[in-house]
Amino acid sequence: MSAVTVWLRRNLFRSPVDAVVTVIAAVVAGWVLWRTLNFVFVTGRWEIIRVNLRLMLIGRFPEAHELRIAVTVVSLSAWGGVLAGIVRARQVKAGRVDAADTKFGVRRVADLAERFWIPLLLVVLLLALAGTVGPVIVAVLSVVAAVIGRLIGPVIGRLELPAIGRTVLVTVLLAIPVILYFYVVTAVGFDDWGGFMLNLFLAACSIILCYPIGVLLALGRRSTLPLVRVVCTVFIEIIRGAPLFVLLLFANVALGFFVPESLVPATSTRAIVVFTLFTAAYMAEIIRGGLQSVPSGQFEAAKALGLSPVRQTFLIVLPQAIRNVIPAQIGQLISLFKDTALAGVAMGSFELLRVSQAITQQDDFAGQGLIGETLAFGAVMFWAISYTMSRESQRFETRLGVGVR
Amino acid sequence: MTTAGARVPLWRDVRVLQWIIQLVVVAAAVLLVFWLYGNYTENSERLNIPTSFDFLDNPTSFEITGNDLSQNAPVRDAYYEGLLNTLRVSVAGIVAATVLGTIIGIGRLSQNWLVRKMATVYVEAVRNVPLVLFLIAGFLAIVLGVFPQIADAWEPLGLAVISNRGIAIPWYDGAGYGLLVIGLIAAVVAWAVSRWRQVLFARTGATPRTGLWAGGAFLAVVLIGWFGLGYAWSIPEIDGRLTTGGIRIDPSFFALFFALVIYTASHIAEIVRGSIQAVPKGQGEAASALALSGFQRMWYVVLPQAFRIAIPPIGNQYLNLIKNSSLGAGIGYYDLTLVTQTTVGNGSPAVPAFGITLAVYVTISLVTSLFVNIANRRFKLVER
Amino acid sequence: MRKTLIRLAAPVVLAGLIGAACTTADDEPDATDAVEESTDEPADEPADEPADEPADEPAEEPADESADEPADEEPADEEPVEEVQSGESLLDTVIANDSVRCGTRDALPGFAVLTEDGDHVGFDADFCRVIAAAVLGDATKVDFIDLETPDRFTALQSGEVDVLVRNTTWTASRDGGEGATFLQPNFYDGQGMMVSADSGFAALTDMDGVIVCVAQGTTTEGNAAAEANRLGLNWEIRAFEDVELIQQAFEAGQCDGWSSDRSQLTGLRSEFPAGPDALTILPETFSKEPLAPAVSDGDTQWAQAVNWAVLATIQAEEFGITSENVGDFADTTDITIQRFLGLEIAGDDGAAVLDPGLGLPTDFGFQVVSQVGNYGEIFDAHLAPLGLERGVNSLWTDGGLLYAPPYR
Repeated sequence: MSAVTVWLRRNLFRSPVDAVVTVIAAVVAGWVLWRTLNFVFVTGRWEIIRVNLRLMLIGRFPEAHELRIAVTVVSLSAWGGVLAGIVRARQVKAGRVDAADTKFGVRRVADLAERFWIPLLLVVLLLALAGTVGPVIVAVLSVVAAVIGRLIGPVIGRLELPAIGRTVLVTVLLAIPVILYFYVVTAVGFDDWGGFMLNLFLAACSIILCYPIGVLLALGRRSTLPLVRVVCTVFIEIIRGAPLFVLLLFANVALGFFVPESLVPATSTRAIVVFTLFTAAYMAEIIRGGLQSVPSGQFEAAKALGLSPVRQTFLIVLPQAIRNVIPAQIGQLISLFKDTALAGVAMGSFELLRVSQAITQQDDFAGQGLIGETLAFGAVMFWAISYTMSRESQRFETRLGVGVR
Repeated sequence: MTTAGARVPLWRDVRVLQWIIQLVVVAAAVLLVFWLYGNYTENSERLNIPTSFDFLDNPTSFEITGNDLSQNAPVRDAYYEGLLNTLRVSVAGIVAATVLGTIIGIGRLSQNWLVRKMATVYVEAVRNVPLVLFLIAGFLAIVLGVFPQIADAWEPLGLAVISNRGIAIPWYDGAGYGLLVIGLIAAVVAWAVSRWRQVLFARTGATPRTGLWAGGAFLAVVLIGWFGLGYAWSIPEIDGRLTTGGIRIDPSFFALFFALVIYTASHIAEIVRGSIQAVPKGQGEAASALALSGFQRMWYVVLPQAFRIAIPPIGNQYLNLIKNSSLGAGIGYYDLTLVTQTTVGNGSPAVPAFGITLAVYVTISLVTSLFVNIANRRFKLVER
Repeated sequence: MRKTLIRLAAPVVLAGLIGAACTTADDEPDATDAVEESTDEPADEPADEPADEPADEPAEEPADESADEPADEEPADEEPVEEVQSGESLLDTVIANDSVRCGTRDALPGFAVLTEDGDHVGFDADFCRVIAAAVLGDATKVDFIDLETPDRFTALQSGEVDVLVRNTTWTASRDGGEGATFLQPNFYDGQGMMVSADSGFAALTDMDGVIVCVAQGTTTEGNAAAEANRLGLNWEIRAFEDVELIQQAFEAGQCDGWSSDRSQLTGLRSEFPAGPDALTILPETFSKEPLAPAVSDGDTQWAQAVNWAVLATIQAEEFGITSENVGDFADTTDITIQRFLGLEIAGDDGAAVLDPGLGLPTDFGFQVVSQVGNYGEIFDAHLAPLGLERGVNSLWTDGGLLYAPPYR
């Protein structure tokens, strides 16, 4: 028997029942595959995507200010590169990773390619669809910037900095995205952002804003003070008990009633408020789980050192708690990212899904039933990002597990 | 402790501080509520929008698909119907998603390469796409893409009518409440019979066969009630462009149900897989050593233990499914959310209307999680 | 045990909150934390936050103060006395912001769709531009805000948009209950029924025991149900959120009839994949649907400004002024046209232009026509290509309903 037959018998045709299952599964798989390929390559009319690509990615962002997006993307790539470099250098220094692993070589490139080929493929596809030079230049510059950043990063990471220097470094690194945000937002307020950019922004904004609230709620719910606990618990349970979609609908029609007339928030702001509060309630539960996982010895040790309750919490317990539940937090980030599509349905916010629906009514495409194509494109965009994030999270989880045990 | 000098000053007394913190937090919360409420009344007054719940008595002026509620029925009836629709799709979805999720979760650990790969692709593809996309895609691809037009509807065995206008299945003819009462009586009788068998077993040691006896009693009572009260089956038939008889499942229900099941099953599959892997390997090996078949090993040994681990996370998925059912509004399924949305669109005041809806959803969620907690505790106790 | 108790207590607390306070507190609790740290007095929260809003010019008086003062000093010296209005007019805000926030939509062929560049084109979109041209003298100064059908009125109430031009039907209960004031209709529509040509339906009364598909959250839904009742027909009504979904359902044979405004039906029919002849629009019109711009209640000045901007397009068509030939009227001697275009009218005591005191620039008529066009031009640009006839939307001189009050 050849190796192939052995493999087949072992993996597909173990027993008669198994063989039947395999045949049925093969038929189903073949049908789905055929339908998909047929749709993608034969029946799909992708012209609508090509024409509206800009609308789907950045919405109605004024053309005059596009350069700011380009600068931001390139800067963020460089920033990411530097950050990755610093982290890696510190891990090497702490002996947590093998220095040989970080050596640049075929293995490392292959590893990176294995991790990021999906978003990479997507970017290439988008560039091909765009058909203009601008995005290609931005993409190339981003890659270059990221590589340079990655090369500079370790140098910075290896520096023996005094306390002040370290503070300055951290501040600068933290300030860069904020500065970039203001750089873009001063030209075009985020109410005028749209497309996939808006999805990313809503998710990023809400996940950052939800942290302080989530941490306070988690601490409040675990507090020994009954009234504080009740207030936090009621809030968390109400938010978690209500569907996000209904909260969005409610905020859309009613948020304006609860603030003075002069403060009525625009659509994107409303969406951010809801996403933030919603994620904060979930984050509070995640962090609460993390807090429970911190051994009580840590508390006692901190107490023995004479730290005040506030310091015990914020210096000793909370960092460990948050670190313990990083995978769950990434999971929440992914689900938040997917949920941003609801802002379009519930609020008419001009995010990717809303764009997908709106462009089917354009003069050139109305009545042709192109919603399948536009939705498929949207699904691929969401999928590529979410899937990559969840894989990275799993990778991180395994690494974290190895480190702990 | 009695001397004044030894007493801790007020601002450092932990108890005092704790009370102050609590009071500040509660005062802040109360003030916030008052501030919001003040703004709300002021804005409502300025815009001349009612803040009372009187709108519940106004006529709905819309019709709920698949229901004979008239346009003149009060809004509160529409709310009630919406709630029922939400519960219908949730219960059906929970059952189906559990079954599908378990199958796929087991499939992910199958020894069959193809099954394993397909389950993995399914889970990874579905989990990472927003549910709302599935909803629309499911409607387009399944309801409109696969189901036939009414003219060439599928009629399996002449019992059901399946077309893109709905799935009509046989149903009883007569008052629903009567059946409910019969069911309750039957359940009580079955319970009594099972107790009796248990007592008999304890006294005489005769084989109890509780299930058989109880089931037989249940069936007997139901059959007596069915024929005694003159219930009959109603078989659906095509009548022009609609169907008559039986009960028709709306296509929007089907699309929502389908999307919820597909999406939730992918999450449940992951939980089931994790739980099966968490069952000690020795259990499965011991079962094999006892010469149980693959199915028996799974069904009698591994799955019961896995489900004990899986109850809390699966309960969470049930909650998510109930909450996600609100998305049915997008494809015209008249659940609680769409009723609220439509009635607000027709001029009901937004804040009270959505206030009711939110309160109902929160109550459903809390009740569900209460049940999950009870279930969890019961099964945990068995373990110890 | 305690956990269960809390879980049980939560709905009770919630019910208390909702029942007693009639409000849901779950709305803004991020502010809880803000309040927690900063202060116990919420009183200064609203006061200091507007300060960093960009719109501090018009908002000199916070909302809570101006509510019961009928006319405060500032508008009093420039406004005619008849204006009984509380607080500032949106007109001033719009001029201060130098932009009209126009509530519209992005996916209704003919009325408002998006181009690849993200611009809004269509009949309603052009009327947004008409308002901007009239008020600000620049048709490009429109901030299009896309609204979903269910929340269009709340957007108007909450002041998120200045004006709603979103093919909205003027009904009594919307006028009364939604806090909206409807103005001169820019399109007179009526609800019709579209069926596939081979269905054999020739009149509404043929349609018994059928499924009728409509868009959800609109007057169409109720109208169709009422019409079926009136005719004693059995219509099962299915509502969809998205036009595209209705179309797919209709094509797949899930619906026998598609009911909507006739203008929409005509547009949809003209772009139907199988060709317009595959569909028939039944002759009956079973509702009146005057589609009108709407502004928030209680702002007469702004309402008048918007109203006259819309009327200017009608007036211009009546005069025969188009965006092409408007320049030729610069030296017209027709006094009515001179008034309309804000030209100087020679009088006994020197030349003067007519300022009727609407708060609009005197040349708003000229700006509207030169930058956007007259009613006929707008119609021809966006609705005629869909195959719509002018019909009742003709000038009164042609037997239609469009009639602008005299501008003098």
